[in-house]
Amino acid sequence: MTMLQSLKNFVRSKSIHVAYVDVGSCNGCDIEVLACLAPRYDIEQYGIFVHNNPREADVLLVIGAYTPGWEEKLKGLWEKIPDPKAAIAIGNCPISGCLFARPHTLVDPPVAKHIPIAVQVPGCPPRPTEILSAILSVAPTVFKDYEVRK
Amino acid sequence: MTKRTVDVSIPVGPVHPCWKEPARVKCETRGEFVLSAEVELGYMKKGIERIMRGRPWQEVMFLAERVCGICSVIHNMVFIEALEKISAIPVPERAALLRVIVNELDRMQSHILANFSYCYTIEHETLGMYLLDTRERVMDELERITGARVTCAYIVPGGVRFDLRPEDALHLRAGMDALERDITRYMGMFEHGPLIALRSRGIGILTREAAREACAVGPTARASGIPDIDRRLRHPTYQKLGFAPVSREEGDNFARIMVRFQEVLQSIALIRKCLDTLPEGPIRGGGIPGAGEIAYSGEAPRGELSYFIKTDEAGRVVEISIQTPSIMNIEACCHYMLKGVASLADVPSTFVSSDPCIACTER
Amino acid sequence: MREPMYEKDLTAMKYAILESRRHDGMVREIAADIGVPQLRMRRYLMDRFDMLLLENLPARYEQGKKMREGSPEPERALGSHLYTRAVPIIDEGTMGQILEGVREMVRKGIPLDQAVNSGKERMRKEITA
Repeated sequence: MTMLQSLKNFVRSKSIHVAYVDVGSCNGCDIEVLACLAPRYDIEQYGIFVHNNPREADVLLVIGAYTPGWEEKLKGLWEKIPDPKAAIAIGNCPISGCLFARPHTLVDPPVAKHIPIAVQVPGCPPRPTEILSAILSVAPTVFKDYEVRK
Repeated sequence: MTKRTVDVSIPVGPVHPCWKEPARVKCETRGEFVLSAEVELGYMKKGIERIMRGRPWQEVMFLAERVCGICSVIHNMVFIEALEKISAIPVPERAALLRVIVNELDRMQSHILANFSYCYTIEHETLGMYLLDTRERVMDELERITGARVTCAYIVPGGVRFDLRPEDALHLRAGMDALERDITRYMGMFEHGPLIALRSRGIGILTREAAREACAVGPTARASGIPDIDRRLRHPTYQKLGFAPVSREEGDNFARIMVRFQEVLQSIALIRKCLDTLPEGPIRGGGIPGAGEIAYSGEAPRGELSYFIKTDEAGRVVEISIQTPSIMNIEACCHYMLKGVASLADVPSTFVSSDPCIACTER
Repeated sequence: MREPMYEKDLTAMKYAILESRRHDGMVREIAADIGVPQLRMRRYLMDRFDMLLLENLPARYEQGKKMREGSPEPERALGSHLYTRAVPIIDEGTMGQILEGVREMVRKGIPLDQAVNSGKERMRKEITA
């Protein structure tokens, strides 16, 4: 790896762009992610910028237990995110399906079956601080050893 | 199917920067003018009602809460009160008032979140962030009382789970004072902001007739001049507290947001009244849900929420059907408000102003 | 060329909405009232309505039924308001024609239920066409 590349990687790991996608949750985790934006937690002071554009994102927050409506689409969304990228599963739903993984359900957990998940944050829902620390912990590893493939 | 001639059909969503949840609105447009909108759902369909069937109430209670994570307390409350009605389980006076306190706190945080989303969508980020910060304070109070921020499972048959400690009551009172000060200030900012008025007044109008036809409920209907839609008027505890609903006549985006602001202030007054009249006594009377069938409604932050439940002797839920307020409100929004929106840029803000909750809508 | 990503067949998801208990009861009631097979009715609703309207149908149907009780004959028997505004399965223009036809028959001296039956026959044709 060139010196320039490692410098670039270091700088980029300090400015993480986050997109979130809800693949069928109860909405509780959504609003806890949203609460991270609040001045109390102030996600932007850590260099994390939340907007919902997969084309610009580095980290994808996956919320929910994977409903049939997302077949094909979640994968497409994941492919749209430029390399390097990582997906974080927020809440119990993407990890195990939580209490939606019962007989007669429509969901198809875990999300790891469909896209690669780097980090899991259990909780129903997890606290905003936990989500924040998960993003921060994954940030240095996303860009570590990243090289543009020729 | 008949074909109509339109300029172009513009899909908005399912992943959209302004929306908390996925839904896809297909707007048929002529120039910038929206002719009609069609909604495609199915991104959040978890089949909760299917899971609930045949399960004991102890499990269904937690599933009911997770129909909607934003207004989880009211789902808990309506389900448990429906069970109590079936089996004639009495609730101690103190527990009934504590339920109102927690429910109103939940309503406040939901309304503040809805108003934050609207301010964020019309790109008034400052006010949005103020509101989100205020919401955290409401969440603190909720957490102090129930032990959890979201999905607290506070209400159980025959009472509530935890008592209100004296120090929490003091904290709640102080918190309500601070909240009232802040919300009044933000309400003034919203009411008199000239740019906010440009983006909000006269946009996304829902007439009273259209609201009635689409069965709109909650703040969306109350902003169109239908005050008697509030189910709290029929709740015995609220009746004792002397509750009177707020309503406005304009029926546009501005009115919907203002109704929510006014309801937050109303909730503060209700909580104060509860704290003043809170009697000493037990918080759990006990009781075992039995067999029966009932249709029971309560007022969620978004409007009327109805549960149709049939249980057997063991307290298992045999049949259940949930009608959430968002179904009616999003329908009113997409098939009536969005029709005739002058610019495509107003589609997200109008959609958000009806406080859509896709998780409720699809369950 | 890649397949268009976003236009998929929604039939299965629309069916998932209609199989809930209240929706099912409503579809049965409408089908019995007009006199078409349930499956046909369900298919017709799925083809014609978007998913949000399908979700909202029970609420609209309940309200439409209340309106129907209060309206005069032959509107009540046909459910003209119910089936055009509340549960819009028939165009208002077509319903106007049907209603006019029924009124005409009543004027000619044909008993009301017979006239209504012929009106419903036209509604059936509209749905099964």
